[in-house]
Amino acid sequence: MLSIKHLSAGVDGKAILKGIDLEVRAGEVHAVMGPNGSGKSTLAHILAGRDGYTVTDGEVRYMGRDLLGMEIEERARQGVFLAMQYPVELPGVNNMTFLRESMNAIRKSRGEEEMDAVSFMKLVREKARQVKLDEKLLKRSVNTGFSGGEKKRNEILQMAVLEPFLAILDETDSGLDIDALRNVADGVNRLRSPHRAMIVVTHYQRLLDYLEPDHVHVLAGGRIVRSGGKELALELEAKGYGWLLEEVAA
Amino acid sequence: MNQMIRDYQQTAMRYIDSLHEAGGDRLTGRRQAAARRFAELGFPHTRTEAWRYTGIEGLMQRGFELTERDEAFPRHAVMRRFLREPTAARLVFVDGRYQADLSDTGLAGVRVGSLREAVAVGDRQVLEAVGSLSGLGDHGFAALNLATLQDGAVIRVSAGVTVQQPIELLHLAGKGAAGRAMRPRHLVMLEADASANLVERYLALDGETAYFNNLVCEITLAERASLVHQRIQQESAQAYHLCDIHLGLQGKAHYQGINAAVGGVWSRTRIHCRFTDPGAGCELDGLYLAGEGQLTDFHLDVDHAAPHCDSRENFKGILHGGGKAVFDGLIQVREQAQKSNAHLSNANLMLSRRAEVDTKPQLQIYADDVQCSHGASVGRLDEQAMFYLRSRGFDKGQARRLLCLGFANEIVERFQSAPLREQLSEVIGQRLEE
Repeated sequence: MLSIKHLSAGVDGKAILKGIDLEVRAGEVHAVMGPNGSGKSTLAHILAGRDGYTVTDGEVRYMGRDLLGMEIEERARQGVFLAMQYPVELPGVNNMTFLRESMNAIRKSRGEEEMDAVSFMKLVREKARQVKLDEKLLKRSVNTGFSGGEKKRNEILQMAVLEPFLAILDETDSGLDIDALRNVADGVNRLRSPHRAMIVVTHYQRLLDYLEPDHVHVLAGGRIVRSGGKELALELEAKGYGWLLEEVAA
Repeated sequence: MNQMIRDYQQTAMRYIDSLHEAGGDRLTGRRQAAARRFAELGFPHTRTEAWRYTGIEGLMQRGFELTERDEAFPRHAVMRRFLREPTAARLVFVDGRYQADLSDTGLAGVRVGSLREAVAVGDRQVLEAVGSLSGLGDHGFAALNLATLQDGAVIRVSAGVTVQQPIELLHLAGKGAAGRAMRPRHLVMLEADASANLVERYLALDGETAYFNNLVCEITLAERASLVHQRIQQESAQAYHLCDIHLGLQGKAHYQGINAAVGGVWSRTRIHCRFTDPGAGCELDGLYLAGEGQLTDFHLDVDHAAPHCDSRENFKGILHGGGKAVFDGLIQVREQAQKSNAHLSNANLMLSRRAEVDTKPQLQIYADDVQCSHGASVGRLDEQAMFYLRSRGFDKGQARRLLCLGFANEIVERFQSAPLREQLSEVIGQRLEE
């Protein structure tokens, strides 16, 4: 589904990613771990199309198409979803309206019918219950005045409603207490499917206790320095990143 | 006095004479005094602080006429624009002329009608009210309005009466307005403890007709009276719209004005409120939208001359293309106005590098025991918000539309009438997705 080859990128001439290779197939969950500043979030942002990064080398193919050549909204319409580390507050934009228009923009681009208001309401209520997002927040402005946990739940709600093919979770676990973490992980697990791939970017192992990844990659200094199964995450949890970085340096 | 001013004055005088010959007009003396005041004042120019950013060259070059014409218009097109909710009364003006057969003079306790008729029958209260708050005019256009005023609405609510449903004041300009200067004056009088909700709209039957609406509105609220005044200016794209609103608030009266200016090539609204009795309150909200070739201007002039009064003003503007806006909000708190609360805020969203806003929030405080604040901001669309929306499948136009609606929402929500909120959201949405 996603094929990243020798991807190098930076900001203002400063190299951040230095030759990333990653293959993600439908049905797989990949965890990308690494210390602060390793380039994890940059990778997530570049996949979603955020401005400000310059790709200096390599390519990314998504479902056979050149992902980097696609506009941000085009990626979303083709099924790429980024759950953000810092979801943006949109004062005055009603959360329910936002979700409905988002879904309909995507459906329309695929030549599908827009969903009527009643069915949509039913769907969103159901999904909100699943991710334990207070229904009152649906009537409020998007993320405005939401707590950290509510913002992350709202991201997962969007993901559940939009049903992407490739979901990228950028440090969705950061700043969550254990209950919120569990709700978010449940929400993500519910979306696991043979047709869907996920890239879970995280600093800590703890999210992976709930979300069992098929593959774990360690990113350091803009490179994937090690890949393995879920046991790699446990090893990192026990020993930290230091040993790995030393081993790579040696 | 230059020739142009002299010409305008003579035209005004001829107009006054023609009324006199046609059987007299009980306002003749006041009209003549206003024409003389006009000759003293001349037209405003950008050397005056209040008009510094609002040139009138385009308006003067057009040279709109004082003539009156009675042209046919499509009735159904007028009716289609009626407020889509039950109303307590309705006053309809087309091309400046009162349309009795399209109006509905309403329920008990509410008296509405045309100013011209009230003057013709010698309605004393009305005769006294004309100019009672505005004076002869403090700029040339206001003086000309009084000198040559044609008609307008008179709205009176009796003491203690609460009118739940809105009173609708609808102005439409069609082809018959082309090339003309209209001079309406509205009088709104609420007696003690009365409360009402007025919806005032300026709409075009034809999107491109050029005309000039030069209007004055005098609003008197007696003790403890309360008025919600919802106003939308959506004139034709070639129209000039000038509006002076004067508020006279007696003790504990409350005025809430919600304004939107989205139409016209040039529009200026001034709201003047002077507190002379304790305990009164004035809330003003406003939204303006200006695009290519448009200028929109709001002047707020709130004068705390009595203690224990509250004023709050919140205006927001969206500027796109080569749109231009002026915001001038002045709050004065005089020495005797202790325990005043006065808060003023103006925020502007610029969607283009060519757009321009001149914003000037001012506080002048001479009392020491008061709570006052003021602030202005000018910003662009948040890039992070744009990215967020696009990453959820919205294209740039849709994202911009949604963010602008979000920005405007704080003001749109102040409109109590759902059809007005919808009308505004629709206008904003259409204009910004282009």
